[in-house]
Amino acid sequence: MTKTTLLGTAALVLLGLGGVASAADPIRIGVVTPLSGTYAPIGQQVRWGLELATKEVNAAGGILGRQVELLFEDEEANPAVATQKAEKLFQVNKVDFLTGTVNSGSTLAVGQLAERNGRLIATTVSFSDAITTDKCSPNVFRVNARAGQQSAALAEWLAKDKPKAKVYYLGPDYEMGRSTVAAFKQAAEKTGAQSTGEVFAPLGSKDYSQYFGQLRAARPSVLYTSTAGNDTVRLLTQMSEYGLLRNLTIVGASGTVTAQNIGAIGKAADGFVTGVGYSAELATPENQAFVAAFRKAYDTAPDLYGADSYGLIGFFKAAVEKAGSTDTDPLRKAMEGLSWSTPQGTKTMRAGDHQAIQDMYAVRIAADGSGNRFDVVGTVPGDAAIGSDQCTRF
Amino acid sequence: MADLIDYLQFVLAPQALNGLSLGVAVVLMALGLTIIFGLLDVINMAHGEFYAIGAFLALTLAGLGVGFWALLVLVPLLMLPIGWLAERWLIARVFHSRDRHILTLLLTFGLGMIMEDLLKLVYGPNTHRPENPIEGGTEILGMFLPNYRLFLIGFGLALIAAVWVVVFRTGLGAMVRAAAFDKDMASSLGVPVRRVYAGTFAFGVALAGLSGVLLAPIYSVFPTMGRDFILMAFTVVIVGGMGSIQGAVVAGLLLTQVQALSSLYISPVWSDPLVFGIMVLVLMVRPQGLFGRLGHA
Amino acid sequence: MPEATLRTLSDPGRAGPVSRLSRLAPVHWLALAFLAVALGFAAVAWATGNGFYLRLATEALIFAGLAMSVDLLLGYTGLLSLGQALYFGLGAYVSALVLRDVAPSFWLAMAAALLAGGVAGLIGGVIANRVKGVYFALITFGLAQVAAKTVYNTRALGASDGLIGIPQISIGFGPLSLDTADPLSFFLLVLALTVAAYAGLAYLMDAPFGRTLAAIRANEKRVPFLGFNAWRYKLAVYVLAACVAALAGALYPMLRGFVSPELMFFETSGNAVITVIVGGVGTLVGPVVGSLLLTALRSVVGSWTEHHLIVVGVIFMLSVIFLRKGLVGALLARLGRRTGQGRTTP
Repeated sequence: MTKTTLLGTAALVLLGLGGVASAADPIRIGVVTPLSGTYAPIGQQVRWGLELATKEVNAAGGILGRQVELLFEDEEANPAVATQKAEKLFQVNKVDFLTGTVNSGSTLAVGQLAERNGRLIATTVSFSDAITTDKCSPNVFRVNARAGQQSAALAEWLAKDKPKAKVYYLGPDYEMGRSTVAAFKQAAEKTGAQSTGEVFAPLGSKDYSQYFGQLRAARPSVLYTSTAGNDTVRLLTQMSEYGLLRNLTIVGASGTVTAQNIGAIGKAADGFVTGVGYSAELATPENQAFVAAFRKAYDTAPDLYGADSYGLIGFFKAAVEKAGSTDTDPLRKAMEGLSWSTPQGTKTMRAGDHQAIQDMYAVRIAADGSGNRFDVVGTVPGDAAIGSDQCTRF
Repeated sequence: MADLIDYLQFVLAPQALNGLSLGVAVVLMALGLTIIFGLLDVINMAHGEFYAIGAFLALTLAGLGVGFWALLVLVPLLMLPIGWLAERWLIARVFHSRDRHILTLLLTFGLGMIMEDLLKLVYGPNTHRPENPIEGGTEILGMFLPNYRLFLIGFGLALIAAVWVVVFRTGLGAMVRAAAFDKDMASSLGVPVRRVYAGTFAFGVALAGLSGVLLAPIYSVFPTMGRDFILMAFTVVIVGGMGSIQGAVVAGLLLTQVQALSSLYISPVWSDPLVFGIMVLVLMVRPQGLFGRLGHA
Repeated sequence: MPEATLRTLSDPGRAGPVSRLSRLAPVHWLALAFLAVALGFAAVAWATGNGFYLRLATEALIFAGLAMSVDLLLGYTGLLSLGQALYFGLGAYVSALVLRDVAPSFWLAMAAALLAGGVAGLIGGVIANRVKGVYFALITFGLAQVAAKTVYNTRALGASDGLIGIPQISIGFGPLSLDTADPLSFFLLVLALTVAAYAGLAYLMDAPFGRTLAAIRANEKRVPFLGFNAWRYKLAVYVLAACVAALAGALYPMLRGFVSPELMFFETSGNAVITVIVGGVGTLVGPVVGSLLLTALRSVVGSWTEHHLIVVGVIFMLSVIFLRKGLVGALLARLGRRTGQGRTTP
């Protein structure tokens, strides 16, 4: 579908026929997401979530009577590629809205481009706090939970379930890894946890066994980690190899264990707890319908990226219908303060910093051989997890 | 004093032992690289991707019910024709050009790029991991070491010894070394130089594939996995002396120890620059590396 | 190796860019033709109001600058750099910091990037020029890896997020001025800079400096007997290439308004090498043509499939095997045959 659309659009533009959208024209949403490289698994979930929601919206008559079209571009998880592709979508394909960026560098760079093009974007994946705090932009919205929300949910569970835990921190050594650890450490210490030490391993480390000596020596009862993707696979399976998983509760960031890597981690993921905005095991009818449809279409369960991306289409639809158009200013106004329903429950877009407020969950992974489940073991109401509005730019 | 012994036993010694298992892994990668360079003067930039193909092959065959021990034989055997064809169809085409160092480097770079994307095309972007074939661990002097790591260290060292015997103690190895030293002379003495070239390349590729099988259970399997070892393996090959088997072994074990032990004292992020700094220093002082190259030493 | 170089020296057809300016060589005609095509493209894009294609072409020219610097080393001196993105990224970061934090001045940003590129090139050159051949390739690769990792982990440089908020600026030329936010004027400026870089470098490569480099490429061991210090020449061309890459990099944040550590990654260096090989090594105009073609190709193929690495990889390998002098070389060979001039490019 995308290919023919793109070709058609390109042909129109070349002929100089591309121009003002009329009511009969479809609404175009550009999706700049990593389809190749190390972030490709996340891009895949983003793509599935958006495609499923779009199919459903179109089957129900579209938005304001117009069909919705998704135009995908591979950003290779590289901001330099992302901006180039986003500019193409904005200027050549004349998309009405744009989403899909994964790493926060891409989201920030594309957000700035959106400002310069007078368009709006939303991220459904990037969870760096900066995007809706000190580097917030009037043209950027975030529908997924940021790092601070995730830490708050996890810290509350920890305080309740493992009071006065002795926590050791192991993060990937780059900006996001460090800030995630710092945020959780602060939240956990506030609720009575005791820190016993921390180590930062290079991103993409092959072998974590070299940190196990320090870890053992600190004798923690809880290990917090903010690794992601393949790094988590190695960390957890190597810990299992070394018999370190006994008597140790592993907790971590929301992106640490996802549908992408849980298969490879296997039994070593059992018991892992994270603070996250979504679980496929949420027992609401909306979510069960969503999971069933997702499984039917893609033969796998959605993870938080798939769910947040799915929910974005609902957000966009509600906002366009409220604004009555896809023009930037009315649309932005309609999005600010908007509440909409998603498989994750009702979300509200905070007007002050464009950060979505949502209920947060503590989720424990059950990987006992009979398939993997993300069991919800605690809920923190949205208002308690969101934290203060620190955006001063608008 | 008791503190010191504690420190040695619980911090330094385990660190060194863990470093050793990583070291064996790196040497396995570097071995294939250095043999190919030693004989053909080819920097195989696609080496990491051959390693990835080995791991994915193991994954597929294991899914078909082939046992781990059979994989250790089967995968290298399957890699041999892949390596042979890569040499005959690609390397050999530019081999006699005067810029062959650079051309073959570029060619294998392009090949690696394509292979990585092909793996993604076939297997999708997700991470996989074969089951650990040897579970459990062993206590040695109060240190815990997983049995699979012990096996890896033992098997790896045996493999390195076997490669050394083949290259330095057999007639086949003599032909290879002769071709490496002077291909025209070797050719006129009846060494089938072209076949020796293709065979050596295939041998190096098979070693990379075997490393893939061996390391998959602990390092997991995904399309971009080939990039993991490549900088370290190149560093090892340069420090050890391009084309030197002893060099690769010594430098591989040494540099991974430096990395493992230094990470106790400095932020692990700096261990890569540290190892690279050592490489620069070695090149400054002894550009040919620690040992001479294959066929010349 | 030695027998191969002897053959080269005795073969006048491969004697390098010697005396190429004695009359306007075919390669320069090609450059002029290219310039005409570029101006025609700009006119059409401007007339149809297509800012995106102008800006895409501008980006292609900026990366062509990086590719030219790779060509200086590879095509004229026989040194393969796998880490040229180090200097490109350095120039980009320096320019971004100057524009954002010091003054929104084009000239200041370019001067700062040039200085940084020169100093870094000197340091990198002293290290890398200790060694030759593949060692040189691997050491430049390693240098760039370490630098990119350092930037990636440095909070003051925005770490993995990079820096955004680089202002769009207006560039003064005496009484005239142009705005980087305007796609056409910035494209024309970058085109002018590219042409200037081409002309300057082509002249230099024809001058005694370039001839000495050609001699080094052909047979480094003989150069000292001619009274030249090969090491010094190689260092000089390395610094020159670093400066060209840094200047090209300095333009990047002016176009895109941000910098990120990915600009220094191996992907960027590798793409520059691919560009040079596909376009035509040792021609200087080849990298420019290659950059424009590959950028256009990636933009189109990238929309069709996420497996663009296979497409680019196959084109690249075919170029290595069949087009030893790239597209430009193949074109020149054809022109040469038709006009009866046997001599093509070095």
